[in-house]
Amino acid sequence: MLTVANLSKQFGGQPVLRNVSLVLNQGEVLAVLGRSGGGKTTLLKILAGLEAPDAGTLHLRGQDLGPVPPNERQMVYLYQEPLLFPHLTVFENVAFGLRIRRVAQVEITAQVTALLDELDLREQAQKAPYQLSGGQRQRVSFGRALIIRPRLLLLDEPFGNLDAQTRADMQQLFLRVSRQHQITSLFVTHDSREALTVGTRFAYLDEGQLTSFASVAAFVEDARTAIGSELAFWESVQQKRNMII
Amino acid sequence: MRSRLLTLFLALLFGLPFVLLGLLAVGEDWRFPAALPMRYSLAAVRSLLAADNDLLAGLGRSLLLAGTVAVGATASGFALARAIARSRRAAQWEAASYLPYALPPVLLAVLIQPFIIRLHLSGSVGGVLLGLGLVALPFATLLLRSFWSPQVREYEHLARTLGCTAGQALRQVLLPLAWPLLRTTLVQTFLLTWFDFGLTNVLSVGKVRTLTVQVFTYVGEANAQLAAVASLLVLLPPALLLLVNKSALLRKP
Repeated sequence: MLTVANLSKQFGGQPVLRNVSLVLNQGEVLAVLGRSGGGKTTLLKILAGLEAPDAGTLHLRGQDLGPVPPNERQMVYLYQEPLLFPHLTVFENVAFGLRIRRVAQVEITAQVTALLDELDLREQAQKAPYQLSGGQRQRVSFGRALIIRPRLLLLDEPFGNLDAQTRADMQQLFLRVSRQHQITSLFVTHDSREALTVGTRFAYLDEGQLTSFASVAAFVEDARTAIGSELAFWESVQQKRNMII
Repeated sequence: MRSRLLTLFLALLFGLPFVLLGLLAVGEDWRFPAALPMRYSLAAVRSLLAADNDLLAGLGRSLLLAGTVAVGATASGFALARAIARSRRAAQWEAASYLPYALPPVLLAVLIQPFIIRLHLSGSVGGVLLGLGLVALPFATLLLRSFWSPQVREYEHLARTLGCTAGQALRQVLLPLAWPLLRTTLVQTFLLTWFDFGLTNVLSVGKVRTLTVQVFTYVGEANAQLAAVASLLVLLPPALLLLVNKSALLRKP
């Protein structure tokens, strides 16, 4: 579905992405793990059409995305902050993409109401964004993206600002909705546990170089992901606990 | 109790000049040491309704000038602030925006007057508009610079990926987000222009008689009654503007 080949980008002579290539099929969630400054955000912005690559090609369902502006790509970029429009209610935030596309009012009401039900936000429909909790805001942001049926969802550490419990809830919600709507996503995170929870495919991005893994096992075993050392830590905690008991 | 006394004191402090202006506008034969005018007459106020009244024409001229400069400077300042925020040398450009404040408006008028004459705009509304615009534009740009934060850029990007063209992102997202600050800028640039005397007086060479210029003329002629009526007219639009925009101007950060 999405094919990225030899993507490169420099800022002020400093390479940020180096020959990045990947393939993503319909309904897959590619979890990209990496540290800050590794080029994750630049990769997402290039895919969304918000930055131009210095070299490389992007194809979505055979279409060359190079000349396609961001508003015609049907790829929604979700930030760490929900960025709800403060001048609009929850209902109007979710309806935003449909209003831009001049969808009929009856259709907007039906679609938005159904989605608000699905995201458990119906009670909040007429509230202003500032009246919502962090988790609710992120759900509205998610609904605003889903309503336009994106061909690709680009998530830039979307749950990074949430507390542990809300974050876990949002990850489960993302999984449920992704499967239900067969959404193809590229999910960027620096949290290996989150990557393993939401991903169906895995990659590691560091200093502009992307490594794709053929299996979960290969991802876990790669020393750079540090998942092995974390597992060893928890095993040692378990052993100590057993010795005390 | 203390806060009530303070409120009363402040109300007296701000209210007394208005009471005095009102008395001057309707009072006649008010000579020292009388505490109040000997007689009262609405003749000066009634004269405002006369078809050839210069004060009402001045009010119209001032409204036109201040309104045009406020709208023009706010719109241009919005675009200019965005360009500064996105330039590679944002800090230098921002510092340069302060440079016009090194000159008082009247000195700026003296400096630009040769250019205004060469443009055949001396003594015209266009010349005064240009001069006032040069004062108001940097002010509007500096006020609106704070709007163009990295988060606003993210809002814009998000709107684009949700399907907005650049124009739609501006109309549907950026302008509503900026509206409280735009409103504040409109009010402030309007007031800046409305109360200007020095620059207008120099560039208009006595031909563009705004309300503020007329107040100074009447004061110079020792015509206290007309000066007071003109002053009340000068105070009317800003008072209305401040009242209407009270919530925007007093909003908490």
